[in-house]
Amino acid sequence: MKLHLSLLAMALAVTSTSAVLADDSLKAGKADLRSAGPMTFGPDGVLFVGDSMGAAVFALDTGDTTAMPGSAADIVAINKKVAALLGTSENQILINDLTVNPLSKRAYISVSRGRGPDAAAVIVRTAADGKLEMLGLDNIRHARVALPNAPDPNSKSAFGGSKRLDAITDIAFVDGKVIVAGLSNEEFSSNLRSIAYPFAAADRGTSIEIFHGSHGGFETNSPVRTFIPYKVKNQDVILAAYTCTPLVIFRTADLTPGNKVKGKTIAELGAGNRPLDMIAYSKGGSDFILMNNSSRGVMKLSVANLDSYAAITSPTDITGVPYETVKGLSGVKHLALLDNAHAVMLVDAGGSEDLKVASLP
Amino acid sequence: MLEGDPPEFLVRGATGLSRAAGPDFKSIFTVSLDEPGVQAMAGTYRMDGNTLAFRPQFPLEPGVTYRAEFRLGDERARAVFAIPKPDVVPSTHVLNIYPTTSVLPENTLKLYIHFSAPIARGGAYRWIHLIDDTGAEVQLPFLELDEELWDPQFQRLTVLFDPGRIKRELVPNQEMGPPLVAGRTYTLVIDQGWPDVRGAPLREGAQKKFKVGPPDRVALDLKNWKVTAPNGATRQPVMLDFPEPIDQALLERLIAVTDASGQAVRGAVNLDRGETRWMFTPELAWRNGSYLLVIPSTLEDLAGNMVGRLFDVDTFDRVQQHITVETHTLAFTVAR
Repeated sequence: MKLHLSLLAMALAVTSTSAVLADDSLKAGKADLRSAGPMTFGPDGVLFVGDSMGAAVFALDTGDTTAMPGSAADIVAINKKVAALLGTSENQILINDLTVNPLSKRAYISVSRGRGPDAAAVIVRTAADGKLEMLGLDNIRHARVALPNAPDPNSKSAFGGSKRLDAITDIAFVDGKVIVAGLSNEEFSSNLRSIAYPFAAADRGTSIEIFHGSHGGFETNSPVRTFIPYKVKNQDVILAAYTCTPLVIFRTADLTPGNKVKGKTIAELGAGNRPLDMIAYSKGGSDFILMNNSSRGVMKLSVANLDSYAAITSPTDITGVPYETVKGLSGVKHLALLDNAHAVMLVDAGGSEDLKVASLP
Repeated sequence: MLEGDPPEFLVRGATGLSRAAGPDFKSIFTVSLDEPGVQAMAGTYRMDGNTLAFRPQFPLEPGVTYRAEFRLGDERARAVFAIPKPDVVPSTHVLNIYPTTSVLPENTLKLYIHFSAPIARGGAYRWIHLIDDTGAEVQLPFLELDEELWDPQFQRLTVLFDPGRIKRELVPNQEMGPPLVAGRTYTLVIDQGWPDVRGAPLREGAQKKFKVGPPDRVALDLKNWKVTAPNGATRQPVMLDFPEPIDQALLERLIAVTDASGQAVRGAVNLDRGETRWMFTPELAWRNGSYLLVIPSTLEDLAGNMVGRLFDVDTFDRVQQHITVETHTLAFTVAR
C-alpha cells in the first residue's frame, strides 16, 4: 500500500535560557512523583519520567546498568500482575507508558494505582522469570525539574486555584536534552520543551513554538502527540506526530534560542486516528519507523532519504512514502525498542493487557 | 492477624521466629491477593519482639480479599482477609457543560464538562456521545487522548473536537468533513453510568442540546469589547462585554485588573450571559482612579481564535517571530 503524503513546509521559532551544567545533580531521597506518565531512558540507567500532575520531569537513577537475562519476555495479563503486586484490583490500575532500559533490556512501565487525583505514581519493571518488581522511589538518587505551569501574565493575581494542567504526552532524550511534549487542558497550543540535562535549578526548559503551514492557508500551533529523535545522514532530527496534522521532521540542532527550523511533513495520519509511539530501526540494510496507532494498526514506514523531499508550493502537491500495515499486530497501545531485532509491546487483548516481545517486522 | 492503621499483617506465636537468625522474611511470610498463582504484594517486613509484621506498600483496597501465608519449618499458618466495600450511593453529577450558549460555531474547538465530585480517569470517551438531529451518533467527533485532559481535581474534563476535522485544507477534514455542520442541531449526551472516583455511577446523566452556526474565522478585536466601570467606594463589579462567547476556562483565568501603580487588584471573577460577560468583583471597595484590564492575546473564542490572531490562518511568513505572550489593555476610570 502506498501512503499519499503531502509535504508541507514548516518552521519553528525558539526562545531559550541556556542551562548551566550541574554535575552530580542526582540527590538521594524520596522522589515525590504525583503521577508517572511518559518515560524514556537517558545515559547510565537514568530514567526520565514525565509527571503531569506535579508539572515536573524527574530523572531517576535506576542503578540498572547490567543486562538481566530473562527479563524481556511475554507476560500475559501484565495489568493483573501489576495489580497483584500493588495489592489492588485490576480496575484500579492504569498503565501509562512502557519503555525499555537499553542497558539491562528490562521493560519499565509507569502506572497509576487508583483512578482519582490521589492515585499513587508507581514504576514497575520486569525481572527474571516473568516476575515484576517496583522501582523503589522512597530513597533513590534523583533530580526534578519543574515545568512552568503556563505563560500566565496573571500569576500575581489571586483568582483562586487554577484548573489548568499540561498533560505530558511524550518525552525523549537526545544530545544532552530532555524534550517534553505537552497538551494543555485550556489553551489549544503547542507545548514542546527542551530541558538541558543534568537539570539546572533555574532552567525550566526551552519553550518551542511550532508553526507548520502551507501556502494553502492554514496555520497550526497544534500539540505534538508523540515524537522520536532520529538521524538523517548523520544529522539529528526529530520526527513529530501531531494531534491533528501529519508526521513532521525538524532538525534537533536548530532547537536553539532565536533560531528557526524548516521542516517537512512526511505522512498524513488522518482523523479518527492518533499515532501513539514510534521506534526506529534498521533491517536488511534499510531504515524503518514502526508506529502504533489508536485505530489504524501498526505502520511500518520506509524512511530512506527523508531529506530528499522538497517542500510543496501548493496544497495540491502530493508525493508518497511507502508504508505497510503490519499484519497480525492489533491493539498495540505502547511500543518500545528492545534491541536491534525486537520490540516490546503492550497489547490490549480484550480486557487483558499483555506484554509481548516481537521480532521487528 | 490484621491490625493497625494502616493495617499490618502480623504473625504471632511462631516459636521458630525467635530462633531464626536474620531470616529472609519474604521466603517465610507472603501476603498476596487471594487468587491462584499471583505474585506477593510489595511491602516491608519488620520484627517486633516475637511478632513478624508485613506492612503493604499501599493501603488495602475495599472489596479485595487478601491471603497471608506463613511457613517456617513445621510451623504453618494461613489466613484470608476480605476488606469490606462500603456501599456507595450515586451522588456525583454534571454541574455544567461549557460553552453554555445554545448556538455554537461549526468550528468549535472544545467543551468543558464540570462535575460535582472527582471522576475516575480512564475510558472517559465511552461515556460521551454526540447525537445529531436524525438521532444518529456522530462518529469520532472528539480527539480521544489516553491522557484525558482532567483538571488537577478530576472534576473538569476538557473535550477537544478533532482538530483535524476542523481545520481547512487538512486532508482529514476533506475526507470526513467537520464534526459539526452549520444549520443542524446536536445533543451532547453524558451517560449516567460514568463512574466517579468511588466507583459509583453518576446520579443522573446529562444532556446539552445546541444549534450549530457558521464557522467563526474572525480574530478577537478589543475594539468591539465594552467596559462598564463601577462606582467608587463600592464593590460593584467591573464588567466587560464581548460580542461573542469566550472560552470559559481562559476567560475565568487570564484577565487581570491592575491599578494606576500597576498593582494587581484582588477579587473574584464571574461569567454571565453565556460567557459573553466577564465580571470582576474586588475584595475591597474601589478607590477613585484609573485602572487597567490586562488581557493576554492567548484568550480564545470558542473556535480558538485569539486576540489579533486567527486559529486557522497562514502564518508561513511569520516564522521568525519569537514566542511572546502579548498583552493588551483596556482602561477604565472609577469615580463617584
